[in-house]
Amino acid sequence: MKLYLAFILLLPLMGGIFNALLGRTLPRRVGEVVACGVIWSAFACAVLAFAGFNGPVRVEFGSWLAAFEFQAPIALYLDQLSLSLTLMITFVCGLIHLYSVGYMQDDPAHARYFALLNIFVFAMLVLVLAENLPLLYLGWEGVGFCSYALIGFWYTEEQNATAGRKAFITTRIGDTAFGIAIVWMYQLSGSVSITHLNTMGTLIPAAVVTTLGLLLLAGASGKSAQLPLSVWLPDAMAGPTPVSAQIHAATMVTAGVYLLARMFPLIGGSGTVRAAIALTGGITAFYAATCACCQRDLKRILAYSTISQIGYMVLGVGAGALTGAAFHLLTHAFFKALLFLGAGCAITALHHRQDIFRMGGLRAKLPAVYWPFLAGALCLAGFPLTGGFFSKDAILAGVAAQGGPLYGGLLLLGLITAFLTSFYTFRMVFVVFHGEQKNPLPPGGGGLGRGGSDNSAANILHPPPHPLPSREGEHLELPKIMTLALVPLALLGLCGGMLNLPSYLGHQGILDGFLGSIPGFGGGEKASQGGEIVLQIVAAILSLTGLGLAWFRYTGSRRAEALAREEAGLPGAGFLLNGWRLDNLYGALIINPFKYVARFFWKQGDEAGIDGALDGLARFIARLGGLPAGWCTGRVATSLFGLAGGVCVVLAYLVWVTLP
Amino acid sequence: MMADLHLLTVLVFFPLAGCLLMLPAWKCPAAARSLALGVMSGELLLALWLYASWQGLAALKPALPGYLLVEDAPWISAFGIRYTLGLDGLSLLMVMLTAFSFCIALAVSWRAVGEKVGLFLALLLAMETGIMGVFLALDLALFYLFWEVMLIPMFFLIGIWGHGRRIYSTVKFFLFTMFGSLLMLLAIIALHLLHARQSGVTTFGLFELIATPLPAGTQLWLFAAFFLAFAIKFPLFPLHTWLPDAHTDAPTAGSVILAGLLLKTGSYGLIRFGYPLFPQAAQTLTPLIYTLAIAGIIYASLVAFAQEDMKRLIAYSSIGHMGYVAIGIAAWEPVALSGSIIQMANHGVTTGALFAMVGMLDERAHTREIGAFGGLWGKIPLWSFFFLIFSMASVGLPGLNNFVGEFLVLAGTFTKAPLAAGLAFVGIVLTLVYMVRLVQEVVFQVERRPLPLADLDRREICVLAVLALLVVWMGVHPAPLLELIHGPVRLLTGGVP
Repeated sequence: MKLYLAFILLLPLMGGIFNALLGRTLPRRVGEVVACGVIWSAFACAVLAFAGFNGPVRVEFGSWLAAFEFQAPIALYLDQLSLSLTLMITFVCGLIHLYSVGYMQDDPAHARYFALLNIFVFAMLVLVLAENLPLLYLGWEGVGFCSYALIGFWYTEEQNATAGRKAFITTRIGDTAFGIAIVWMYQLSGSVSITHLNTMGTLIPAAVVTTLGLLLLAGASGKSAQLPLSVWLPDAMAGPTPVSAQIHAATMVTAGVYLLARMFPLIGGSGTVRAAIALTGGITAFYAATCACCQRDLKRILAYSTISQIGYMVLGVGAGALTGAAFHLLTHAFFKALLFLGAGCAITALHHRQDIFRMGGLRAKLPAVYWPFLAGALCLAGFPLTGGFFSKDAILAGVAAQGGPLYGGLLLLGLITAFLTSFYTFRMVFVVFHGEQKNPLPPGGGGLGRGGSDNSAANILHPPPHPLPSREGEHLELPKIMTLALVPLALLGLCGGMLNLPSYLGHQGILDGFLGSIPGFGGGEKASQGGEIVLQIVAAILSLTGLGLAWFRYTGSRRAEALAREEAGLPGAGFLLNGWRLDNLYGALIINPFKYVARFFWKQGDEAGIDGALDGLARFIARLGGLPAGWCTGRVATSLFGLAGGVCVVLAYLVWVTLP
Repeated sequence: MMADLHLLTVLVFFPLAGCLLMLPAWKCPAAARSLALGVMSGELLLALWLYASWQGLAALKPALPGYLLVEDAPWISAFGIRYTLGLDGLSLLMVMLTAFSFCIALAVSWRAVGEKVGLFLALLLAMETGIMGVFLALDLALFYLFWEVMLIPMFFLIGIWGHGRRIYSTVKFFLFTMFGSLLMLLAIIALHLLHARQSGVTTFGLFELIATPLPAGTQLWLFAAFFLAFAIKFPLFPLHTWLPDAHTDAPTAGSVILAGLLLKTGSYGLIRFGYPLFPQAAQTLTPLIYTLAIAGIIYASLVAFAQEDMKRLIAYSSIGHMGYVAIGIAAWEPVALSGSIIQMANHGVTTGALFAMVGMLDERAHTREIGAFGGLWGKIPLWSFFFLIFSMASVGLPGLNNFVGEFLVLAGTFTKAPLAAGLAFVGIVLTLVYMVRLVQEVVFQVERRPLPLADLDRREICVLAVLALLVVWMGVHPAPLLELIHGPVRLLTGGVP
């Protein structure tokens, strides 16, 4: 087991280092094979670890931070949760790596790309496997750095580089809260081991547990793009599409959910914390769903859908439905990776055009993309009997089981969000793949013109610096590997429900049984079977209604009219398009004052204040020194005058001391 | 056996001997460079050898508890001044850092300094003697001597080989530090006299003076004088304004030494002399130190964000990083103090590397203005790669060196002063903000001015690769260094040897 774990971590790391140091000098194929090979080998090791798994194990590899009582060794902890996530991460990232081979085939910076992609996987695996919080923090910050470098991968465009920076800084604001929580837990218990801390829940005062929980929630909000730190994610679309898939599906954004689930035995003891987590998740899910309804950039729709779906998972954690949250995390990883990779195919085929209002009719042109994409959309929309349907329902059932006005309200919000989700998902599908393409591409494959009525429409197109060579015909031909990678994800997404079928079907779900023994996972109120069936029927109806509404609006004769009106700008759409204008709010409240204060401190504080005062003092002393210098005129008369004066002073002094 | 070799004397005075040997080679830059290289690498080898054998030395139990090597001889008997040098784990770490930083300083000025090479190298060597002495002296009079010795070569280094307003900067640097050290000298003499009056023994020995019972008021004044001298070197807000000017106008080697070593003498002095000599006074002033350090972290990080000159920005980042060191010392708790000491070494490596890299860029482009660059990743990828590594180390990315120090400082401090540690965490975000701004505007985006830039040559790659390996090694496996300082930290914080 120790060997497997070492390989799971070291292989991606070595692959990344290999590509970073040697990738530029070796043929492209070598770098690609190494990058994909290490991830798939890590997956193989994860499968072997799964086969040999019989109960949680803690493995220590060596010391890392060790000073007096503060001991944070390089130690890993493999239990059911980290094992299932490891399997998912290596598998989905493996597919994303394969897809990237096709996607990046014309990009000269492949070595940097694959190096970062591999290290990204390494950091995420450290995050889920770490046994102590500082090591988890290493993975946590590691994914932050990799996302920074990958979102700004096409760094020559200022907005790409800025988007990467925004992601790094925003998530680090949350990380700071997490960091404070770590040192606080160390202060309370003298330990940073996760398993040890999780047994401390009863020994720590309730108020402190609440504060710790809120700090961890703030940390999770940063990485998982929950309100109010969600603003980085829509901009993170500036990166290459497989990177978006990796950030959104398998890594990074799920880190916050993982952290909250992992520390739940400690923080779940506080009702305030649970309520805060559930509220954050529920409101974020709703917020992002409303924003997604008005987006016109294909990737931004998916970005908001991620925020919304992660919101569901956080809501699930808040309701104590940890298994449901983990279940949704897994199915979401499959179908969101699928949707992003599918979107990447469509975007590539259209010469890196992302505006959905310039798309249409792709069903006939790209059937190999359409059908998997549709499968992903069905899951996202919670279409009955897909994986997404069961996992989302598991969360809502957990919320329903909590009862009370707060959770009742959140259940209602969750159901409204489910309806919105279905609507915006099929809006996307129908606008992109059905109907007719509105504006055929200009010859030559440029198609880089900007459109739209709002300033954020400037984000719609992200031409890479080295546009793919345009070929004859309306759309580019896609490398086979890109469409092939969609198939296993589509199957997993559709059949993901099998992982944890509801118990009213007669059997305990697989995940329920597998994860049930982890502290915290077994708990949570269980909904009655009848209630769960009713809930599923309601959710199914909502999902179908959303689909129907989208069908009614975006296909057939009404399509043209609806699109024209939306393109002109519906009332209030600008507010939703810009994510409730949070960016403007933060700009006015934080960023601009920050810049002003920075400059003020420099110019008024350092230069005028401290240095001005000291320079003034220096000048004053120099002038003081200059006073006697004025007497050194060199004239005999002045000197004699001085001599006489001096003699008088000395005589006067002698007289004064000798007088009785 | 090793004690008889007078290794510490060799360590201190070997560079000075090299400085004298420089006289015949005065007119021949190539010979002078080879000579300096020989002396400095000899020092480094000696330091590394001491490190390799430290556990064996510790087993020998020399005269002073916790020390590995001690040399003691009477010097000026009339005043009880002795020539006492002592090496413990803390000193050894600083000695290694010193020997290493001088090699880096020599390497980065190999070609950059073309005039008066002999004088330049002689000054560097003289400074190495001074700094080694500061880190080894255990007699306060001797310490003060070395403290001044290291200052004078730096004055000329900035004044002669500097850029811009170099005279203003070097005089400012000199006046700031002299002001502090004169007060410290007064305090040393006062302490000496007080001790003589109480016990009848005239001595400047650190361990004799530690035992001097002092009334609280006196202790406070004496500590304040020491603290001022160290705080200026640190530098703590608001005594920091000499640093950006000195760094900006210093030659690259000067910046490397300033950041890597001179700032460390302040924190080292506080750990070795300030706190042990005046524990109660230090306790009383701890809130002040926290306040100044945190104000410094936040203030300097904000000012760094507004900078337009790369070197100035990194100079301000130094103030922020040293703020963490100050917090860890103020907590005076084993974990935090270990973190501070490790952070001293880390900061020397990381910031030294950043200054060296900006110096390399300056040699090529003859400007350090942030707005002049952009898109360097496409133009000089190797330089950009290393710059990204050191920037990420500077923002405290876990797995790289600065994280180790910062995190231990914060973890330890939180047990003593949660509010101070919590506020210091805010600085971590601010550090990231100005550092990624620098990286983005220099390394990413598009080229703003067509500058003739060549990528790193083999000498530069070697220097930076060594630094980068150190950054990673100290970040991934800091355990040997933490073990090295474990004993001294335990003794300093009141544990038994």
